[in-house]
Amino acid sequence: MLYVLLCLTAAQFSARTDLSAGGRYVWHGISRAAGLVAQPSLAVGLRIHRFSLESGAVLHYELDRVSAGELSETGAGGRQLGEEDFWGRASLLVGPTRLNAGVVRYGFRGDPSTGGLGPARNTTEVYAALSISSSYLNPSLEAWWDVERVRGAFLHAAFDLPVLGWPFPPYAFAFVQGDMGLNVGQGPNPARPGELANFAGRGITHIGLGVGADVRARRVSGIGWATLAFGVRSQLNLDDATRVNGTGRNRDFLAWLWTGITVVVGGEARERR
Amino acid sequence: MSGRPAVLLSAVAVLLAACGPTRLHVPGALSPTPKPGAEPSLQAGFARVDITPPPGVGLAGNGPEGAEARGYRLRLYARVLVLADGGGNRLALVVADLPLSSALLHRRVAELTRRTDGIGADRLVIAVTHTHAGPGHFFEAAGYNDQGSSVVGFDPVMVDSLTARIARAIHAAVADLRPARVAWGSRAVWGATRIRSLPAMLRNIPLPSAPADAPTGLPQEYRLVDPELAMLRVDQRDPASGAFRPAGAFSIFAMHGTGNAPSNDLLDADIHGLVERRLERHIDRDGGFVPRAVYLFANGAEGDVSPAWPPQSRCDVPTLTTLPALDGPFTRTLWQWRLPTATHLASCQHAARQAIAIIGKNVGDSAVALFDALGAVLSDRLEMGRAFATLSLRDSARALGICPEPAVGMSTLVGADDAHTRVQGWRLFGVCDIGLEQGSPNPDVPGCQAHKRKLLDGWFGDLPNRLSVSGTLPSYAQVTVLRLGSRVIGAVPGEVTTTAGSRMREQMLASARKAGLPVSAALILGHADGYMEYITTAEEYTAQYYEGASTLYGPGEAAMFGRTLARLAASLSAGDSLPAAAAPPLELVVGHQRHVVPRNSSTRVPPPRIERVWCSADTLYAWLQLGAAGEWPVSTGDVAAGPRVEVVVDDPTRAVVSWDDDPALELRLRSRHGGLGWWELRWSGASGRTYRVRIPGVVDSDPVSCSTP
Repeated sequence: MLYVLLCLTAAQFSARTDLSAGGRYVWHGISRAAGLVAQPSLAVGLRIHRFSLESGAVLHYELDRVSAGELSETGAGGRQLGEEDFWGRASLLVGPTRLNAGVVRYGFRGDPSTGGLGPARNTTEVYAALSISSSYLNPSLEAWWDVERVRGAFLHAAFDLPVLGWPFPPYAFAFVQGDMGLNVGQGPNPARPGELANFAGRGITHIGLGVGADVRARRVSGIGWATLAFGVRSQLNLDDATRVNGTGRNRDFLAWLWTGITVVVGGEARERR
Repeated sequence: MSGRPAVLLSAVAVLLAACGPTRLHVPGALSPTPKPGAEPSLQAGFARVDITPPPGVGLAGNGPEGAEARGYRLRLYARVLVLADGGGNRLALVVADLPLSSALLHRRVAELTRRTDGIGADRLVIAVTHTHAGPGHFFEAAGYNDQGSSVVGFDPVMVDSLTARIARAIHAAVADLRPARVAWGSRAVWGATRIRSLPAMLRNIPLPSAPADAPTGLPQEYRLVDPELAMLRVDQRDPASGAFRPAGAFSIFAMHGTGNAPSNDLLDADIHGLVERRLERHIDRDGGFVPRAVYLFANGAEGDVSPAWPPQSRCDVPTLTTLPALDGPFTRTLWQWRLPTATHLASCQHAARQAIAIIGKNVGDSAVALFDALGAVLSDRLEMGRAFATLSLRDSARALGICPEPAVGMSTLVGADDAHTRVQGWRLFGVCDIGLEQGSPNPDVPGCQAHKRKLLDGWFGDLPNRLSVSGTLPSYAQVTVLRLGSRVIGAVPGEVTTTAGSRMREQMLASARKAGLPVSAALILGHADGYMEYITTAEEYTAQYYEGASTLYGPGEAAMFGRTLARLAASLSAGDSLPAAAAPPLELVVGHQRHVVPRNSSTRVPPPRIERVWCSADTLYAWLQLGAAGEWPVSTGDVAAGPRVEVVVDDPTRAVVSWDDDPALELRLRSRHGGLGWWELRWSGASGRTYRVRIPGVVDSDPVSCSTP
């Protein structure tokens, strides 16, 4: 009991809210909306020494009115919430290495009758991830397992590489991001043909590359900070599912712009600089 | 142009102008012709003014590693010595506890004192100790205001406040003019300083050698320094008794003001402050909070000279890393500069404080010994002369023998050995060397700034420098040569390396002697009347260490200053006024104007009070409410009559053991709640006794017992 109390006194609370906007919504390499999307999210975390528990939610709004046949979660005519995801995870920091294990619940709010994704697509994934933090390459490897509708594994490798860190306020960072997906079990299952599939086949699903910049817009000492970020992402689509860009339309290569505002309070964001 | 586009363009133009850097036109401000005074003999007057600003300003000198000031330790002062002769000639020497000198500040002060006291730009030298725990925001060039610390911007309130205070102190020193006796002398101080860029120094031809009296046991970087502590002792006649009494001194000693670790977040006079106080309290043993004696401890050719701090006194710098939290499955990675741990920072700052105490005592004891020795050779004769020139560096580059376009090298961004910045060693993608390290020459590049590796010059040539760097750098150099008796002093607006300073001294001395002046020695006074970073020899420049990379106008700078000082040494004069060409108006680009210095936000300030007092190990803590949040420690008058807060022993004697001008006592602002200043006091001198914290004349705290750890 005493140990628990001592741990709780050392606990650091933090919270983060994001509002992102982009020209496309891409999940696991699969394009789910091709128009303008807004993605507000909220996350809270409690860190005790090297261990933390975190949870959050992210909503996916489509802001463009969609015509029939266009890529959309909401379906034609929509300009509304297409998806809501809730997640929770445990995280352990060991030196520069971070181990995560968590679960994500996906809920779809589209209208299947107009081409959207409805509640029948709701599903749950669990995942485990390993990431390494350094001044240069920050690689991560994630293993995802759909435990409800698709029932299979998907591996995702990514890296973040800072190009520049401006040392004077307002601090600014430029970075390169890359990622690659590998489907190992979320394709069609011949043994259960009625089961949903995310990808068309096994193997590499996509290779992505992007550049971005992050500017510390505002800092309140002892509380947290706000950042403004923007960038461009591109993706080479290698699986048929990642190529889909609307009814009867495929694209091998995609590029889109994104931007976002993030506010972080508590935790390390409270530091004075 | 028709209506709407014109309005739009005008709006854009206004917006750009509003967001652009501030430009200032600063007039010449030369002295009027002196009028012979009533007193035929040498006169001297001293004064001191408190220039400690409120917390919130940036601590300049360490670039991005310079913290925002949270409070203060040793107060910052500007000390003034005015010397006058029977011919009405006056010379004012100011040494301020500030990080960098400023041509803007020099001209602004001169504009006031030329009217009130006949001391214009040519008879005024404002030098600084180069403490890196002093405020910025008053410099002459945008680069130093916008990138001098982590708190960026030019603040006219800082310029106005410093100007008014220093001008007032000069006026007070003139009012203090009394018959005086003076003596010059010098003494070697070994072991307190070292050459921090030895490989660059060893490129000089001929190879520098240690003075004959250098202790043999010292490493080479300690033996190759210029150890000279030069001092002009000044005694004033006491009006009551008629006897001459020790009053103060003026010294030059080459040592960076970098005793504090770069992560220090308190305003502090650093090693120089301790040396100043050591001699002042030696002269004025019974003095109160502010001694009557005044010791101006100026910097010499300290460009490559560090105080002998130990390696453990330099803290790690922030590192670029991801924020390891709350980057959920579908949110982007956030980047941050992560600070070293609080434990590490406390440890290295403690080591720095110990080093400051040791070096301060070492140099201070030498100053005391020298001062006492000079008491036997005092004289009432001190021939004075001055020569002054303003060099327009960009416009006259060809004639001066320097590069027309100033530039900083990549090693400048890395910081010196005293304070590396967070970008030291950074490689693009972790692989490509872009020169962010000490000693990063670029020998293949042709042109005036050859050897200097500039920002992205491998890809874009000089374009990045021209577009984003050159315009933020200074365009003028104000140079003064003074003759004070047997010494000629070259006051230079920058940080001269040991070897460059030695060459300049030789040139100046030879020139003065050739002109028939009976002078025995020449001195370099650095950090005076402006700041144009470092001045290295041409050989040192080729190494592109921090100092060479920061020699803005190329390898010809040291030779240019040598020629200028020699020319001025040959044209020393007194009793005249200089032509206007000596001080043309300065057109300055000072950077982005910001509201940095806190303004008073409370009109009704309740009496100060002590909230709580407690002890932990050898440290006594107190929480206090002291004045308005934006208040300067001395808001009216020149110096405080007494401390704001004291620590007293809880016995019948109530002996004062510390006050808020003590290296062991820190006053740190906790908050500005309600427009008032809520402070935390930390005094690390407790030794197993019972103490009280006192706000003089207001309240004593309850006693608190500090057990011996």
